[in-house]
Amino acid sequence: MRAVILERNRLVGRRIARHVAAVGGTATVIEDPAALPAAAADASLVAADVFDGDAVVAALAARPGPRAILWTAEPLRRALRHLAECPAIGHVLGRKDFDSPPRPWELALVLRSLRAPTAPLPLAAYLDWGHAGFELAVTTTAERDAAVARVQAWVGELQVPRRLAEIAGELTHELVMNALYDAPVDEHGRPRHAHDRKAAVALPAADAAVLRVGSDGSRLAIQVRDRFGGLRRDTVVAGLTRGLAGGELDRSGGGAGLGLTVCHQSSLGLFFELAGGRHTQVTATLELELNLRELKTHPRSLHLWEA
Amino acid sequence: MDTAGSPLAVERMVDGRLTCLKLSGTIDESFDGKRLAATVDATTLVLDLGGVRKISSFGIREWVDFVGAVGARRVAIYLVECAPKVVDQLNMVANFAGSGRVYSFYLPYHCDYCDHDDRVLWQVDRDHEALRAGKPPQRACGHCGELQYFNEDPVTYLSYLAGQERFELPDDVAGFVASRLAYGVGDGGRKLKVDKQVDGRITLLRLHGDLDGSFPRDKLAEGLEGTVVVDVSAVGAIDPAGAAGWRGLVQQVTPVIDALYLHGAGPGFLDKLTRPEDLGGKGAVVSLSLPYACAACRTTTGQLLDVDAHHPALLLATAPDRRCGTCGGALVCAAPEPLMNHVATLPRPGLPPPLRAAITALLERRPAPRRSAEAPVVAPPVVTRGGGFGVAFAAALAAVVLAGGAFLAYRAFRAQGETLPAGRGRLVGSSAPARPAWITSDRALAASCVAVDGGLSCFGVSGPEPSEEEAMSAAGDAALDALADAIAGRVSDERWRAQVLPLWAAARQARLEAADRDPPSPAARREVGELRRAAARALRAGAPGVPAVPTATHWERYQAQAGVQFTGYAQYTIERATVDAIAARYQAATSTLGVDVVTAYPLLVWRYPALTGGAVITAVGEGPLASRGLVPGAVVREVGGRDVVDAAGFASALAAEHERLRASGGSLTVELVADEGAPRTFDIPVARVDTGEPATPGAAGGRGGSGGRGGNVGTGNVNVWDRYGGGGPPREDPRR
Repeated sequence: MRAVILERNRLVGRRIARHVAAVGGTATVIEDPAALPAAAADASLVAADVFDGDAVVAALAARPGPRAILWTAEPLRRALRHLAECPAIGHVLGRKDFDSPPRPWELALVLRSLRAPTAPLPLAAYLDWGHAGFELAVTTTAERDAAVARVQAWVGELQVPRRLAEIAGELTHELVMNALYDAPVDEHGRPRHAHDRKAAVALPAADAAVLRVGSDGSRLAIQVRDRFGGLRRDTVVAGLTRGLAGGELDRSGGGAGLGLTVCHQSSLGLFFELAGGRHTQVTATLELELNLRELKTHPRSLHLWEA
Repeated sequence: MDTAGSPLAVERMVDGRLTCLKLSGTIDESFDGKRLAATVDATTLVLDLGGVRKISSFGIREWVDFVGAVGARRVAIYLVECAPKVVDQLNMVANFAGSGRVYSFYLPYHCDYCDHDDRVLWQVDRDHEALRAGKPPQRACGHCGELQYFNEDPVTYLSYLAGQERFELPDDVAGFVASRLAYGVGDGGRKLKVDKQVDGRITLLRLHGDLDGSFPRDKLAEGLEGTVVVDVSAVGAIDPAGAAGWRGLVQQVTPVIDALYLHGAGPGFLDKLTRPEDLGGKGAVVSLSLPYACAACRTTTGQLLDVDAHHPALLLATAPDRRCGTCGGALVCAAPEPLMNHVATLPRPGLPPPLRAAITALLERRPAPRRSAEAPVVAPPVVTRGGGFGVAFAAALAAVVLAGGAFLAYRAFRAQGETLPAGRGRLVGSSAPARPAWITSDRALAASCVAVDGGLSCFGVSGPEPSEEEAMSAAGDAALDALADAIAGRVSDERWRAQVLPLWAAARQARLEAADRDPPSPAARREVGELRRAAARALRAGAPGVPAVPTATHWERYQAQAGVQFTGYAQYTIERATVDAIAARYQAATSTLGVDVVTAYPLLVWRYPALTGGAVITAVGEGPLASRGLVPGAVVREVGGRDVVDAAGFASALAAEHERLRASGGSLTVELVADEGAPRTFDIPVARVDTGEPATPGAAGGRGGSGGRGGNVGTGNVNVWDRYGGGGPPREDPRR
């Protein structure tokens, strides 16, 4: 992997280059967007701040092929435009401020997955060694409620503020609801339960939504996987774009996007592994070291892997 | 109550055309918004959302359906006590409130020391300025007394609410919220408003709001005669001082009126103010309001019952049958048994039909709308001796100064019954047989001031103390602290009010609130006592004319489980001239070398507990100290190594030190008080003015140089960064 890193802060650029080297790649750091087209000529990865997103999109349009990642210290909303117009951009990494690189573990995860794709990513990929957690198969509405309650109780036992445990419960509820009601389709590809979320559902064991929750003490990961693989990249991007635009509840897409937006606002990172027709796996992460105020203001990450 | 994850519970209360839905738990896909909306048959809907702990994305959709359907029927919607989860959705989904308006909402606070979460209620009218400012202050934790912080991003959290127009609840809604729900209209209570209508020999008084220590007993009594009807249906919380005021009114007017009839007495009023001794010889309850519940549709309503009409049933401590206005089902009276037993003892009013008809007509006549919602009491259109009632009363009210401690007194009286606070023990002795009339509260740590002929009369109450001396000392400190606060309210200088007053106001308020928590926090109370002592000491030391001893004192001895404890009461009465002199001293600005300062106010100890004097910078203009990091609001305690006691001291020290350094060159040292840790020191270079005489090395008294305390021979005691164009940008705000 040969990466071109466009970063105005030289120190940040060097640290990102170090991560590229750590996964076996090579990196060139440039500070001037004007140098990007030439530098990207033989690159397999282009990386830059969202501020330079237009330059990245232009460079990839001129020479398709490389993948791209962006990082941002601002709200994710501004990055969605680039994700919508350039499929090569699969990752937006939140960073604390313009003088900080993205979170190291997250950067390493993305770079490693780009260099040696592994799908689906195990829960352990999101946590430090020595983490603990549990897995549940959810097939019914009652199991969903029990799973939400268990997650909330389990997170509460991590000695985090109660509101954080509630947020974990909300995240679980949203993710499982999608896997339980929206994902299942019949043999003709028609939704089985999406039309009535008030109805109690009972899926066959083979169609169960698989919930995994784990923590290493400083980070929490909640992962839900369904076997249907109906979620598409453009649905995620459009839904978030609609949800984060503010304004009145837009039902033009059947209200889609609201659940994604709730998940986005309740987590620091959302990781979508989209394997059409095979599986959809969504992982949400939360940093337990942050207080709620920091959690609300810290820039979010969005990752989209398509298989 | 932890309702997170629990299914949504909807409690319904109905009062005429006003419906309140109190929601608790989770709003998710099981919430049927349109169905609930169909059950709302009202012109006004109050949504109490304090118990909402979780809202799922599908719950948001259902909720938007709900408020949309209700709003489409032109129902006025008010959202009260919105939980943080609700505020999140208001910020995320623009039509989450539909056509409704948010009246009150919670701010989440967190204490890192004891890991305690708190919620603070803000109202859009009372807290409008703070809301617009967008900076919820830190406050003392109710558990451990340490500072807790607003646990959200203010810009995001307040974005929707700050954009909402300021408004006040209509009287009927405010009355309903205060009288029917389990909370008042915010922590600050609801000021009493009175409408007065006179029709021949019948006078109707409508009371709206809380009965507390501000109850205008004397003014209400003025001119009352004939038959007096008091509509108490919109009376909210009743505290002991308010109850005492009411009883005093009844006692005062009983000799001069024909009869006193109470209309719409709710459970609280019935329980507290309708005992035989409360009604006097001429009082009677003509109608009362009892809570009824419908098991079928979970609706709770207040049913107005005519005492004459239902006297046989009431006499048996039973309530008459009623049907649910929502579903038609049978209602069951939900009044507690003790209340019904008391209702059974109420005298039958026996109203003659003509009088009943006249009273009914008067009650149905709506009062003229108020013009000023801010006025605590609307002056009745009756001219009495000694000038207009309205003028006199407005003047009296305007004269009332609510010191910070008055908040304590208010909260305290609300929180307790009419007896002494629990835990104080049995009264076994006191300095006088009867408690003096100037004592208007017996709540621990209460303090307040009242205007008297332009001056101030302030009183304070101690907490439980082991000795009489300590109790009297704490009470005196509380009174003087309240006096300082009241005098600060009299300072008219706008710059002082903008730059000096805010330095301590939030810290003081937070600590007073922390000390008033229930259960009480010994640490918080101890801290308030110490800070009051420091404030009183500073006031006595710096303010002219403060009496050395209180104007009046009183103590009480209690036999408590913990042993004998004393409660002290102290009153300071200060003449107007003294008040004006003190206010003038502290707002008088002194200007030197372009820096304006005022003498540090005694209450600054609430923010800087170790402060024993100093000067507060109010402006930095052109001069050698401009752009050197000194900013308005900074508190100076030392200049050139000399302590600054007050504004004059600052001026003389600064002028002398500057003049000295002009001869030798060097750094002018200014030391500021910092919130925490060591004081902040600023070394400001002063270039030597060439007078033809050689500079003396070390002439700066060992304090010159570029930041060092020793001499700086190498640079001639001139900061080299300034010599070589390094004046640079202004330094950071020293208060941060």
